Amino acid sequence: MSPTIVRAPNLLRVLWTNAVFAPRTTLGFMRIDYVLGTVLIVPFTQMLFFAVVAQLAGNPSAPVAFVVLGNAVAPVTYSSIFSVCQTTDSEKHQGTMEHLLVSPTNRAALYLGRGFLPILTSMATLVVGLLYAAFLFHVPFAAGSAGSLAITIGLLSVSMVGFGLLLGGVALFLRTSIILGNIFLFIGLLLSGANFPVSFLPLPLQWVGYLLPLTWGISAIRATASGAGLMTLLPLWGALLLSTAVTLGLALGLWGVFERQALRTGSIVRF
Amino acid sequence: MRKVEPSRLRAFLASVRLSLLLFLADPQWVIPATIAPVIFGFAAFELYQGSGATLVLYAILGAGMMSMWGQTLYGAGWATGQDRELGTLEPTLSTPTSYLWVVFGRIVVNAVTGLVGGLVVFAVVSFAYPHPLPLHAPVEFVLLFAFVLVTLASVGLVLSAVYVYTRYAGFINNFGEFGFYIITGSMFPVVLLPFWTSPIALLLPPTWALDALRYASLPGYAGFGWGFTGDILGAVGTMLVYLAAAGSVYHRVEQHVLTVGNLQEY
Repeated sequence: MSPTIVRAPNLLRVLWTNAVFAPRTTLGFMRIDYVLGTVLIVPFTQMLFFAVVAQLAGNPSAPVAFVVLGNAVAPVTYSSIFSVCQTTDSEKHQGTMEHLLVSPTNRAALYLGRGFLPILTSMATLVVGLLYAAFLFHVPFAAGSAGSLAITIGLLSVSMVGFGLLLGGVALFLRTSIILGNIFLFIGLLLSGANFPVSFLPLPLQWVGYLLPLTWGISAIRATASGAGLMTLLPLWGALLLSTAVTLGLALGLWGVFERQALRTGSIVRF
Repeated sequence: MRKVEPSRLRAFLASVRLSLLLFLADPQWVIPATIAPVIFGFAAFELYQGSGATLVLYAILGAGMMSMWGQTLYGAGWATGQDRELGTLEPTLSTPTSYLWVVFGRIVVNAVTGLVGGLVVFAVVSFAYPHPLPLHAPVEFVLLFAFVLVTLASVGLVLSAVYVYTRYAGFINNFGEFGFYIITGSMFPVVLLPFWTSPIALLLPPTWALDALRYASLPGYAGFGWGFTGDILGAVGTMLVYLAAAGSVYHRVEQHVLTVGNLQEY
């Protein structure tokens, strides 16, 4: 009888498998029609809606170009937060969570791999939104800002998906992630400065706004579009990097906490 | 032998009652459909509040309208979808009462629960805005708001009928939502949109009804040139077309399910 070979799961393989399979199984908004709708339709309709509102308001602190640019960026929440936070919820609904929890797979690879495709769709959403802003709404972009825009788009996409994974971690404990996803899908429109300067808000809400990566991302995009230098952009990029590190760390921490609870009580999949 | 006609009103009221009980049993589901309008209402309030009390009324009115829209779209999408998932579509269709009245009850309850979003925005804005809101003719306002609700329900009926034949109800709900808000002028007068959008806007009864509501309640409102009476006539006319279309499609659906029997597997 040949000896049984027990092979440790390859980290990269787990990461890649999750990157490929999660969009077909557990992530929300990942059917091709939904992806196209998220990338092509949502930015345009959202920008148009708030552009007309801004035009009617005539508020000098939030002119049409300011609002359009904010809403070119804000739809990224669909492909990052709303899509990603459903991943743990779906595992529970499909009855696959128990199998995941008893597998020896590395949790970081298992969980973070799921963010791969949403990062790409988030980047596509941002690029399309900014193209709409430039060519349909005639928002001016500073010459030579393409490189800085590309860096900002990359950092913002990763940090937003990190935030989505954090919410997915919270959703491990909830009955459904849809409510949480919907709240964070739209709350950014109010607290991130997408439609008016954050300073318009009461102070406690401003603090909450500054906890969202979207707030820093919108500031970075606006600064880039206006041709701001590295001294302005570096702190904003730093905030996005910090947000990514914190949210991913917290997401994995939550997995650990809820996994231990699940193994102890056997109740986590009974949402 | 005398043929006993099933009571449509009784079926409608039973559907309303059951939908209401289901909503009260799990009211959290109002959040997905109304969170967007509430947030948009607050965002519009922040933009409008420096431009006078009339525009602040736009934000409240718009949030209420969008909230009802959201719930109607959501309710219409689920009106038949949920029956399919639970396996109750065919049994419900095989009852003597037309399915239309069952769906209509669900949609009306959804539209009414959508008022929650408008009330949230109204309560917060009333607290946060330091000036009185210039609402003219409050009685007419309430009546016309109810009328807007009925026009929304008529669109919901047609959508729910269409949704019987398509797997794209979720897609239309998610990606059509903003489009509906824009084209019906929920947060601004439709006349601000490019002229070519007007014919599309006028195909929807809520566009007319909302314009009439603004004529009646907002001082100095300048909407469609035909004024309040034209708006009411237009709303009633388009709504009747929608109701006739919904009735026709549902009749076809019922015939289809009896003939082919594959409705569950659309």
